[in-house]
Amino acid sequence: MVDEKRAQSPIDRVWDFLISLKLAITVLILLASASIFGTVIEQGRPDKAAQIYEDWLINIFNKTSMFDMYHSWWFLGLMFLFTLNLTCCTLDRLPRVLKVVRNPKTIFDEAFEKSLSLAGRWRKKGSMAEWTGKCTAALTASFAAPRITNDGDAVHLYAEKGVISRFGVYITHLSIIFIFLGAIIGNMIGYKGFLGLPIGDSVQFVPVRNGSELKDVGFRVRCNNFWVEYYRDQFGNPTGQPKEYASDLSIVENGQVILKKKIVVNDPLRYKGVWFYQSSYGEDKPAARMLLRRADNSAPPETFHLLFQRGEAYGVPGMGIVRLLDFQDNFEGKGPAIQVQIEKEGRQPVPMWLPSADPELDRRRGDAYVLSLQGVEQVTWTGLQVAHDPGVNIVWVGCTLMVIGIMIAFFMSHQRVWIRLSPAAEGKIDVAVGGAATRNRLAFEKNFEKIQGELKELQS
Amino acid sequence: MEMQTLLLKSTTATYLVGALLYLYFIVTLKERGARLGRMFLLIGVVLHLFGFGMRAAEAGHTPVTNLFESLSFFALVIVGAFLATEVRYKLRVLGAFVAPLAFLFSLLSTFQKSELQSLNPALNSSWLPVHVIVLFIAYAFFAVQFAAGIMYLMQERQLKDKHLGAIFKRLPSLDVLDDINYRCLTIGFPLLTVGIITGSLWAQNAWGTYWSWDPKETASLATWLVYAALLHGRLTVGWRGRKAAIVAIVGFLLVVFTFLGINLLPAGQHTYASILE
Repeated sequence: MVDEKRAQSPIDRVWDFLISLKLAITVLILLASASIFGTVIEQGRPDKAAQIYEDWLINIFNKTSMFDMYHSWWFLGLMFLFTLNLTCCTLDRLPRVLKVVRNPKTIFDEAFEKSLSLAGRWRKKGSMAEWTGKCTAALTASFAAPRITNDGDAVHLYAEKGVISRFGVYITHLSIIFIFLGAIIGNMIGYKGFLGLPIGDSVQFVPVRNGSELKDVGFRVRCNNFWVEYYRDQFGNPTGQPKEYASDLSIVENGQVILKKKIVVNDPLRYKGVWFYQSSYGEDKPAARMLLRRADNSAPPETFHLLFQRGEAYGVPGMGIVRLLDFQDNFEGKGPAIQVQIEKEGRQPVPMWLPSADPELDRRRGDAYVLSLQGVEQVTWTGLQVAHDPGVNIVWVGCTLMVIGIMIAFFMSHQRVWIRLSPAAEGKIDVAVGGAATRNRLAFEKNFEKIQGELKELQS
Repeated sequence: MEMQTLLLKSTTATYLVGALLYLYFIVTLKERGARLGRMFLLIGVVLHLFGFGMRAAEAGHTPVTNLFESLSFFALVIVGAFLATEVRYKLRVLGAFVAPLAFLFSLLSTFQKSELQSLNPALNSSWLPVHVIVLFIAYAFFAVQFAAGIMYLMQERQLKDKHLGAIFKRLPSLDVLDDINYRCLTIGFPLLTVGIITGSLWAQNAWGTYWSWDPKETASLATWLVYAALLHGRLTVGWRGRKAAIVAIVGFLLVVFTFLGINLLPAGQHTYASILE
């Protein structure tokens, strides 16, 4: 809160702005509005916009990165402001809450008693020690064990419940920071890719960033088999709508099968932090069957397929990346041939034609590996979404904290009960009781009346 | 037509009768209208639950996977949320605003294709019932909050104009309506949060990413942000009452946009049920 007496320095003003509720609400509304724009304007598809919007509007959208909003400077800026606001609010308010929680008001004086809407007074016969004991026992039984403070001749009892509810809001705010942190980590060191893997093939390099890059996952994944089951019509004929599809995958490391799993949609395979999700498939699609040999025959040859699709590439550890460029049915009268280029770090990739009729052609490259085309055939491939996200667990911690924080903030209440015992005339004791709750006052009122009733009925 | 489809469609008529009885109650203030109205809504809920259960058994999954099923289910949950609120607050007038809303969604469902459709493999998950039901309950309480918001604005107009018309006596006090605004928020917001998080968990399991900025995700985020703003706004005095009522109305319009409007937009991963079919 603003300290009225002190002249405000610019730093104070900035700080007050950063911790203000007004900023919080403004940022929330701005983010919400931006998100609505993001749903209405299709993201990542500026090519489609020409049919929908006028040129001048497209111009504005382009200048404000409306087609890639979530990566734009202004959206990230809003997120940053949001995080800053959350953090500053917490830094501002949490210490004060901690102070209040650590040093609760244990003295139930008359001024405070008057400020409470739930309070009662009566007089009992007996000694202070006797009533201190009785009230302590009763409060412990019906509410919580009280803290006893002696103040002059009076004795004050203070009991509380649900003190954690004071922290619900901070747990929730912290959870958002966790989620952002996890998302940032995932974006910085994680990757996502799509892999079309023909039955029988295995790969170690996964295309990421829409195939522009191949990522070495550090082990091989092999598709042993793939099935698709279709829904059937009333005559028992397949309708063409898939009911379930599944792949039998193996993880191979150093030539050893480490792990084998049948994956279906909604049930992925995970190994060393890399997840393989069943996502799509292709049936009877044309592909080039490639043969890969060592120039010196030091290891048995391997085969793999290059699917006839744009940007198709296959990585071979130690050799580089084989990228498919073109295909011809009958290349220079020698039958089918494909054009590939081999990309290796530090070398200029040169396109070359590999006719199936000349399997030794690639020896001219002088590499340790010799690549050749065995033929063109129809293959069935399984479509795998591949993801490595080291931030995901932090996101889940954040989500868990958020649910816990919201539950605490919304449904728990800090309930406090005070009792003051003070000696009165004729060997009697004055009893004063008060109660307060931060939330759900109606329920607490009932509880308080019950506690008060029980205390009143106590006899010496 | 199968029994379950018939049951689901017949509830539309039951909700209509319930809504009309509540409207009769608000116009004539005859107790019988509200009593009968509630009875019809209860009958509707029972029929609806039966139909829902039978359809679930026949389909082999929770039947909330196309527009017919989800609109119908939304009507059911709205009526359920209203009945729960009525029991708690004894606010029968609310029925005249909420029951027509439930009827509207129920009616919309009858225009959709009601045949059982085969399930897309991506939806074949135990997250389906959790994710959808939690979100629909949240939405239903936002619907009740929306109705209370409209009542608030109507009542406030009456008070401002110093023209205490016939409707004034029938509407609850501004304080009660504002209290409903807050109560619905404390139920709806946590459920909306849990609903979005279960969606993320599911997406992580099915698509390999917990958040992909697909239109439905983004719209639900916008909804969450608006209710979060309302929650924080309510902490300042100025946002109680009128402003809170307006934000609740905007929030619910966003809920409807998230639920239905997205289907009109270019395809995203959530567009399993197209409104244009």
